[in-house]
Order: sequence, then C-alpha cells, then structure tokens
Amino acid sequence: MTRSSHTLILFAVLLATGAAAFGLERFPPPQFETDYVRPTTTVPNPPQGFWEYIDAGVLIVTLFLATYLILRKRSRRWIFALMLFSLVYFGFFRKGCVCSVGAVQNVTLTAFDSTYAVPIAVLMFFALPLVFTLFFGRVFCGAVCPLGAIQDAVLIHPVRVPRWLESGLRLIAYLYLGAGVLFAAMGAMFIICRYDPFVGFFRFGGNWNILVLGGCLLLIGVFVGRPYCRFLCPYGVILRQLSRLSRWRVTITPTDCIQCRLCEDACPFGAIRKPTEPWPAKEYRVAKARLAFFLVLLPVLIGAGGWAGYELRGWLAQIHPQVRLAQRIYLEENAQVEGTTDASDAFRATGRPSPELYSEATLLRDRFGIGGVLFGAFVGLVIGGKLLSLSVKRRRTDYEADRASCLACGRCYEYCPKEHERWKNRKERLGRS
Amino acid sequence: MNQPQGKTDSGVVIGALIGTAVLVAIGALLLVDSTGRGGSGLSDAYELDAVKMARFDPNLIACHEVEPAIATGFARSRALTLDGEGRLYIAGDKAVHVLSAEGTLERVIAVSGEPRCVAVSSEGRIYVGLRNRVEVFDAAGERLAAWEPLGDRSFLSSILVAGDSVFVADAGNAVVQRYDKTGKAINRIGEKDPTRDIPGFLVPSPYFDLALAPDGLLRVVSPGRTRVEAYTFDGDLEFAWGENSIRIHGFCGCCNPVNIAMLPDGRYVTAEKGLIRVKIYDADGTFQSVVAGPDQLVEGGAARVFENAEDAEASGFDVAVDAAGRIFVLDTIENKVRVFVENQKGRSE
Repeated sequence: MTRSSHTLILFAVLLATGAAAFGLERFPPPQFETDYVRPTTTVPNPPQGFWEYIDAGVLIVTLFLATYLILRKRSRRWIFALMLFSLVYFGFFRKGCVCSVGAVQNVTLTAFDSTYAVPIAVLMFFALPLVFTLFFGRVFCGAVCPLGAIQDAVLIHPVRVPRWLESGLRLIAYLYLGAGVLFAAMGAMFIICRYDPFVGFFRFGGNWNILVLGGCLLLIGVFVGRPYCRFLCPYGVILRQLSRLSRWRVTITPTDCIQCRLCEDACPFGAIRKPTEPWPAKEYRVAKARLAFFLVLLPVLIGAGGWAGYELRGWLAQIHPQVRLAQRIYLEENAQVEGTTDASDAFRATGRPSPELYSEATLLRDRFGIGGVLFGAFVGLVIGGKLLSLSVKRRRTDYEADRASCLACGRCYEYCPKEHERWKNRKERLGRS
Repeated sequence: MNQPQGKTDSGVVIGALIGTAVLVAIGALLLVDSTGRGGSGLSDAYELDAVKMARFDPNLIACHEVEPAIATGFARSRALTLDGEGRLYIAGDKAVHVLSAEGTLERVIAVSGEPRCVAVSSEGRIYVGLRNRVEVFDAAGERLAAWEPLGDRSFLSSILVAGDSVFVADAGNAVVQRYDKTGKAINRIGEKDPTRDIPGFLVPSPYFDLALAPDGLLRVVSPGRTRVEAYTFDGDLEFAWGENSIRIHGFCGCCNPVNIAMLPDGRYVTAEKGLIRVKIYDADGTFQSVVAGPDQLVEGGAARVFENAEDAEASGFDVAVDAAGRIFVLDTIENKVRVFVENQKGRSE
C-alpha cells in the first residue's frame, strides 16, 4: 500500500472517531413512558364484511321483488313503495355504499391491478343488476337504485325534454363512463364516487360543492325526470345496452295496443316511442346516403378520438396523485415554486430519490397515453354510433316503451285502458272467488 | 298560436330555474378541489395555531423587565446561577463567566468541556457539570477536583449544592445523584420504586432541573409528567404538583417545565421551552402570575419558536432568583440575561 493510501485510511479513521464523539454528545433516546398500558395490537376482521353480505342479500331480494312488481303485478304504487325502501336502506341506512354505479370502478381496477381484489359483495352489486337487466330490462333503475329513487321522489312537475337535446346530453354519460374506467384502470381516482351527487345527502354531510351539485340536480329533477340517470349515470350506459337485449321488459299495455294515444305523454323520461310511418322513398334514399357517409366517418371519428386522447395524456395523467407529486417535486427542486407542500415534505421524509419518482411518473404518463387512445377511440365510437343511430329508422306499429331508455318506473301502466280492463277483470275474479 | 298566459309564465320560470340550477351545478363542479390543493377543508379548530396557543390574558403579567439585559459573552449559553452576593455564574461554550451583580465580567473560568450546569457553594466553590462529570473550582477559578465520570449514558443537566451535599440531575439516566462535597456518591433520588411510591422521572429531552426550597426539600422537575416533585435528601417522595395544559396555568407540550428556581418566600419560578414562558406558582403549586410570555421573551413570539426547530431546541431558558426576589432569565437564543422584577416589589423599591 502506498503512503497516500495510509494517509487516507488514517484520515477516515479519525473522521469516524470524530463522528462517534459527536454522536456521544447527543442526548440518549427520549423517554415517553407513562402509566398508560399499551394494549396488544389486534387486527379485527373488517366490520363491513358482514353488512356487505346483508346488503347483497337485500339487493337480490329487492331485484326479484322489483321484477315481480314491474313485470307481473304492474303496480306503480308498489314499485314506488319498493323504491322508497331502497332509498331508505341503500341510501340513508347504508350511506350509499356499496353502490352498483361506483362498483364499475372496483371491477375495472381489479382487472388492471393484480394487487387489488374486488370483494365478492361489490362484484355482486356490479353484476346482479346487469344480469337482471339482461333478462327483465332496467328493473334495477326502476325500484332498487337509491340514486334513481331520490330523484324519482322529487319529480313533481315533469316537463318534456326535446329528443335532440336528450340524445345530445346522454353523450355526457358515455364520456363519464369512459373517464371513470380510465382513471380507475390507472389507479388514479374513483371519479364516479368522488363526484357522486347524492351520497352527501345520504350521509348528511360531505363536500360542499358536491352537495350543491346534488341540490341542483334535485332541483332540476323536480321538472326534468331523473336527470342523473338519463344524462350522467355511467352504469346506466351499460344497463341501456343490456336492456336492448332483454328477454322480458316493460310493456305499456298488458295485452294489445289499441293506439288510443292516452299514454303518449305518460312517461316523464321521454321513453315512450310512437308508431312510425313508412319512410317516403325520397327521404329513404337521403337517409341511406347519410348512413353510408356516417359508416365511412365512423373509423375517422374513432381514429381522431384516439389521437386526441393520446395528445391529452399529459393533462389526463395529472389526475394521478403520483404524477402531481412528481411535478411538484420537480418545481421545488428547480426553484420554480416557493415553499413545500405536505405531500412533498412527506415524500422527502421517505428518503426516496426524486429520479425514482420521476421515472414512475413517466411510466404512468405513458400508460395514460395508451389509456387516452382507448378513451378517445371510445368517445369517437359513441359519437359515430349516435350519428348512425339517427340515420336508422326503426319500424314500430304500436306505442312502445323504448328498450334502452325505459327506467321501468311503471308510471305508464295506469294510462292504458287495457290495463284498467285488466284491473277490472281481476277485481271481478276476486269478487267471484 | 296563442297560448294561455299562465302556461307561458310557468314555462319561463321553470326554464329559468333549470338554467340557473345547471349553471350553479357546473360552477360547483368546476370548483371541486379534486387534487387536495385547497387543504383539508377542516375548520380552524383542527389547526395548530401557535400564536393562538401562546395568547393569554396580559393582565396576568405581574413583572417588568429591568433594562438593560446582561450579555453573557457566549456563543451558546447553557446555565445560570447566583451566589449569595448576587454574582452571576453563567455556563456556556467551554467556560464559566462570573459577572458582578451589575453585569460586569469579573472572571472567566475555563472548563475542559462544554459545561451543562453550574452551582456555587456558600464557601464560594464552583461546581460545574459537564456531560457526564463534575469539575470543582475555587472562587479564583483554580480547578480543585474532577470527579469520577459517570457512565456514557449520563447527561448532567442541573447541579445544586445544599449543606454538605451536592445534587446532580442526570437527564440521561433520569435520576438525581447525591454526593458529598468530595465527590463521593451517597444515594440516588427518584429511581422508580413502587415499594416507596416513586414513579421515576420521565425525561424526554435534555432538560431536567432541580432546586432547593426553603422548606428544606428538594424540588425536582419530572418534565415528561409535566410536574414538580418534592423529595427529601434521602429520596422519599413527599408530594408533587403540575398539570399538562396548553393554557397558561399548566405546562404545555411533551416535557415541561425545563427549569425552575425558588423565590425566597417559597414560590416557584418556572421556565417552559417550545412555547417559551416564565411563570410564578405559589408554594402549593397554584398558578399565580406570568413573568414573561413568548411575545416578551422571543423576537417573533410563538410563531418563530414553532417554525424554527433549532430555536425550539435551544429555547430551554434557565432561571435563577436572587435574595431580593429578582428573577434572572438566561435567554439561550440571544445569549443574554434578562432581569425581571415583580411589579409590587418594583414599586416599593
């Protein structure tokens, strides 16, 4: 070994000795001993587990009951009573959670994050209404969903929303579903729960802005039937599509439509479709050409949406708290902002190097790029699909409840003279027996 | 087409209502703090407001400061005591400064390490506590003895001479060691002993003070219990007083008071760190008055102490009392001694 090596080692030893001396000057570990006896740490089972299964049981019962009342008994009064029960139980008693609408995000997250396991009860809340809708139409919306119930309860003076406006506003729900799935998949936020407008009422407290939002929706709901369900509900988007395929569903008349037109204005949700006239030949040709144009436009819209989604990846990624933290740390490290935040202080306290955080944020941003493409493409598909649907005329010979839009509230039953006839016959049968 | 007037009016009203509700809803939605930048949203009740906590009724201040303050001459002052003639003995850096009652530097006594505490006997001997050992000097500053060092865990924080005994408060071991004047250990005071109903001292920070009361009992602070305990020289616990409270009548935080001194009439002067305040308690331990609060003792008041960790650590002000009842506060941040006189006494003087 050289003389310089020896000098270096000696210097290092002296330095270490000095450090030890400095360490000795420090006060011994502090005492915080008191008379308090710390209890043994125990990890009890999550208390929610029991109630979640009770909830799932109540959900099954209410879904069956709703199906019976809507399709078999056809009684608006009983449907309303069940709806109130659901509002009280799932809403005020269980504080709006678990909720099928929000469960979409749990299921999405479990699909994208292997470390997250969705509870069986939550899975049931997600799947059961879908299964029932597939067989019986939107019976869940009609009498089980507390979000729908609270709106239905305030519907006092319904006004008609023009079809064009209704179709346009409904696109918001598709966007909301897409955003909810995207942010849940990325592990960024459960946006549908965060912006649930009615949960604050169920819990008698919450974020003021959301309470105001909920209050406004209820005020609108006095005149416009169930605005959240029709124009915003992301779960409703899925239910709409499944309801189109449903084997059994709400029919205005219990037998044959006599085209009396009494039910024409019965639905406060604009879900009753009139019989259609055959298209004039000239109009048909125009519609055909328009349909061909929209079919060509569809992939363009999907592509444009995907491109826009990719370009917006940076903006979308900012929803993720980890990306926001990385941005904050970067700004602080480069003296572009003054002071620190609780989050940046907490990050520094972990001792993790900031480049590690930056790489994580970059990875997330890249993932948001892929997610943004899919989200944008979905939006393009929805817009293109809507344009296509406007170019297709479905033939109807009777007054019918729209398969997708009908919320199975049962209001239209009593408008049908055939229904009254059925009641009368039933009463007579009961009288005879 | 003519429409009934009433229908038109209601349509307008409903439209206006819906339009307003839509606008308000959009506004509320846009203003949602989804990133948490707006803070917790909790009320002020959950805020750690040091300034608010430091506030107390100014009418409780029963002392006034005698200007000017006395400079210690140290970069880091640590402890203060007085002898029977009113001379000040201030420990700091690596020395003890002896100042006249008027504040003139009379002598500098060099110490082999950083002194943590200092006491003077009636014969004029100066006992200096270093980290884990005691050195004894004569009045001229000549070193007479260096006692056997205590263990590595020891951290001496206060020293007191009473009669033939020297009491050393060892914060590291949370015990008071009694010696004779030659440095021979006699007994230990305050060790946890359930058979004698002694709970043991709790010393979470390097502040652990003691004083001798006119009743002949030792007063030892158990800062972790925020109380003062009275012991006989043999180590029997006689009584204790003190309450943990952020309010002015109690001792705040994890470990206070940091230092105490006894007034000639048996009342206590206490000094707290963190939220720096010097107060007077009567002989029973009942809060009596304030000597000075954070605003009087620290530039910037409470806010400065709370926001600056170094200041908070160095804010263990020492207190001493002379035979006339004047209160000497060693400001360990500004390195000066401030003198306070009770208002009644001030007026009578």
